[in-house]
Amino acid sequence: MRVLRLIGWALCAGAALTLPGSRPVAASAAAGAPLVFCADPAYMPYSDRSGDGFENRIAAVVGRALDRPVQFYWRSMREKDEYGEFITATIQAKKCDVLVDVPYALGDVKTTRPYFISSYVFVYKKARAYDVTSLDSPDLKRLKIGYEGETPVQMGLKQRTLILGSKLFLTADNESASPQDIVAALESNKIDIGLTWDPAVGYFLKNRPDLVTVAIANTRSQGYPEQFTFPMAMATRVHDAGLNAALNHVIATHSSELQAVLRQYNISFSTPTDSGE
Amino acid sequence: MKKTAIVAALTLGLAVIGASLGWHSSATAQQKLSLADMSANSAQWVMPAGDYANIRHSALNDITADNAKGLKIAWQMSTNATRGHEGQPLVVGNTLYFESAYPNHVFAINLDDYHIKWEFTPTQDAFAVSVACCDLVNRGVAFGDGLIIANALDGKIYALNADTGKIQWKANNADPELGQTVTSAPFVVAEKNRVIVGVSGGEYGVRGYVTAFDLHSGAKVWRAYSEGPDSDTLMGSDFTGPHNAGVNTWHGEQWKIGGGTTWGWYSYDPKLDLFYYGSGNPGTWDPSARPGDNKWSMTVFARHPGNGHAVWAYQMTPHDQWDYDGVNEMILADIKVHDQQVPALVHFDRNGFAFEIDRRSGKLLLAEKYDPSVNWATGFNLANGKPNENPEMATREGKNTKGICPASIGAKDQQPASFDPQTGYFIVPTNHWCEDYQPFASKYKAGFPYVGATVKMYRGPGDYGGALIAWDPNTGKIVWSDHEHFPAWGGVATTDGGVAFYGTMDGYFKAVNTKTGELLFSQKMPSGIIANPIVFSHGGKEFVATMSGVGGWAGIGLAAGLTNPTAGLGAVGAAADLGHYTTLGGDLTVFSL
Repeated sequence: MRVLRLIGWALCAGAALTLPGSRPVAASAAAGAPLVFCADPAYMPYSDRSGDGFENRIAAVVGRALDRPVQFYWRSMREKDEYGEFITATIQAKKCDVLVDVPYALGDVKTTRPYFISSYVFVYKKARAYDVTSLDSPDLKRLKIGYEGETPVQMGLKQRTLILGSKLFLTADNESASPQDIVAALESNKIDIGLTWDPAVGYFLKNRPDLVTVAIANTRSQGYPEQFTFPMAMATRVHDAGLNAALNHVIATHSSELQAVLRQYNISFSTPTDSGE
Repeated sequence: MKKTAIVAALTLGLAVIGASLGWHSSATAQQKLSLADMSANSAQWVMPAGDYANIRHSALNDITADNAKGLKIAWQMSTNATRGHEGQPLVVGNTLYFESAYPNHVFAINLDDYHIKWEFTPTQDAFAVSVACCDLVNRGVAFGDGLIIANALDGKIYALNADTGKIQWKANNADPELGQTVTSAPFVVAEKNRVIVGVSGGEYGVRGYVTAFDLHSGAKVWRAYSEGPDSDTLMGSDFTGPHNAGVNTWHGEQWKIGGGTTWGWYSYDPKLDLFYYGSGNPGTWDPSARPGDNKWSMTVFARHPGNGHAVWAYQMTPHDQWDYDGVNEMILADIKVHDQQVPALVHFDRNGFAFEIDRRSGKLLLAEKYDPSVNWATGFNLANGKPNENPEMATREGKNTKGICPASIGAKDQQPASFDPQTGYFIVPTNHWCEDYQPFASKYKAGFPYVGATVKMYRGPGDYGGALIAWDPNTGKIVWSDHEHFPAWGGVATTDGGVAFYGTMDGYFKAVNTKTGELLFSQKMPSGIIANPIVFSHGGKEFVATMSGVGGWAGIGLAAGLTNPTAGLGAVGAAADLGHYTTLGGDLTVFSL
């Protein structure tokens, strides 16, 4: 810990020297110095300026665990359609230090070990009792489908010629859209079944026992792999090894608190187990 | 000291049990159990590939090219499983062992009266079913020191008392939640007290590894990753390749999901004390997302089984753009290459080239196409081991590259070849499909993860789907070739009787003349064959056994019930007519004269 603290102070001093006048950046692992998280100010259920998103709550767990005050650097993920732009303008630009919800081994940042695994899901009215487990389930051929665009489910539907007549949702491109839109479309019977990312939609199904989600199975039925399940991690800048190690330690020691947050947001997840490490 | 005493006591105990069960014919074998010695007894088939060298050859010679037409079915039984059966039985003493496709039933059959001595079915994490890539296959059990080692799809490794089926130990080698499964056969190096197990799942963000467990206790001894720093890949000071290439041939953190899984056939040279295996495709199918050579994916490794340390590694397909996994069997044979006698490793890779390597040093001696349609590279530079790539067949994000040969299923997949010492030929089951390939960006789009690629596969030039070929390793040329309608997805066994056995996806078990490829015998089977034949004798009579039960990657459409495939998509389209020839269902069939 002493070594980390010294490195932290050195980084802090460096930042202060090279960025005169800028607001203090918490590159430090020192207890007490604020830890700055990158987040979207208006993208529920991920994050919100009021602190209501699950990423905000995960950040709070991390801050408590490291005994450091939590700050957010706000920027929309959706005003440019590339998440890469968000990374460049936030964590790469040292406006903030931590992302708490990225796919494991995402490029351009250093991810921690995954702390939860989630999946794309089918969402539909329980009473309909569809028999769907994968994109190859025959029931899909007779259903009116709504799907999140530019995702693996879109490609899967396209390859199976199920995309014609299906309804496109582009939550990730449009700041006025919400993952809830697909739920509203189910409600009004505009679609029979929705295909979206579980952590995006689970929150909106919290008080909806009439709606059910089923994970979409990874498959190689088309010859090439189709992946619908992803391990999710936190991330730091590539060279921020000290902070990255600290986050890994939090993941190892505070798993029950992290998982409590995910459950609170009605996210279906599993946790990576030790495969004989 | 205490530990040593316990191990010694265990070894002694097992030796005594072994002796009482009649596994060993001589007193010396009872003193020191040697799997290598047991494999030299052609009455038995004690390793998945027959012997450590992986040659899948039997010295038995009662069944010959002259009398093979008189082969008859001696006995049969159902495996009680319906998915793809890619493995083979073992014969140890008077017992035949085999493992079915998922749910991985393991059977021990008494060869005297065919009664079931014991049966074992593991309790599995059903999630493994949803992440298994290419059907729910299994490639068989292994044997060592009185134990049958069985891998389950969900990554659990079971060591079962060979006499009773009772679990002696259980270990874990994969986490299905992370996309990891185990389909390959365990590799037992009994003389070094090791069970070596690989992992599948290179498509779903797995970093490949091999794990060595203690044969007696199941304790994990070491794990060697395909990517990462030398401390993870176990490249020691005597490693002859570049250091830390498992990190610095990747962009950023990509090596963490670097793929390079290890689900193929391993071999072992007791004299050099090296075992050999290959790693699979690098992480994502989108090559634009992972600049660099992506070491050590697509690599032949030579490691010491004791500590896992690598001595040499040779990457066959740097920066893979076609999913040409390098996991196919590593056959050890002392042969002439360009008239020079050499202790060789011969490997027929998915990328369509046969590699002949000096297994002491890893030096590449010969690399030639074993299917003339291969077009992603024109050849290999033997001096630096690199392919001369054809830029027209490169794949990249957003571009649909057409007419790539071979297709992603490779000019050959895991279906193992046999080396016939009599003719000096390798008898190789091959695929003959080509494809169009389009990778898509891997990204995270404001809360929605994405990786992907699409592939359309179809029969190659000449409108055939596969072939059984004879390969002359000295010249690097095909000697004869028998065409098949579907990929030849079943393995081969050869015998001193001059016969090569193999099965086809449309459901024929065949015997051909090793010298000429002439068809000697053909039997229509209950289901298509993607398994590997074995040869053994019992009561002085020669038998040939195979499983049938179609499936696997090439048969996934049928196996997964995709009866109405969209024309021309992936493997489903190319094998769309499989359902006109065969149906699902696992069985074991044993032939004799």
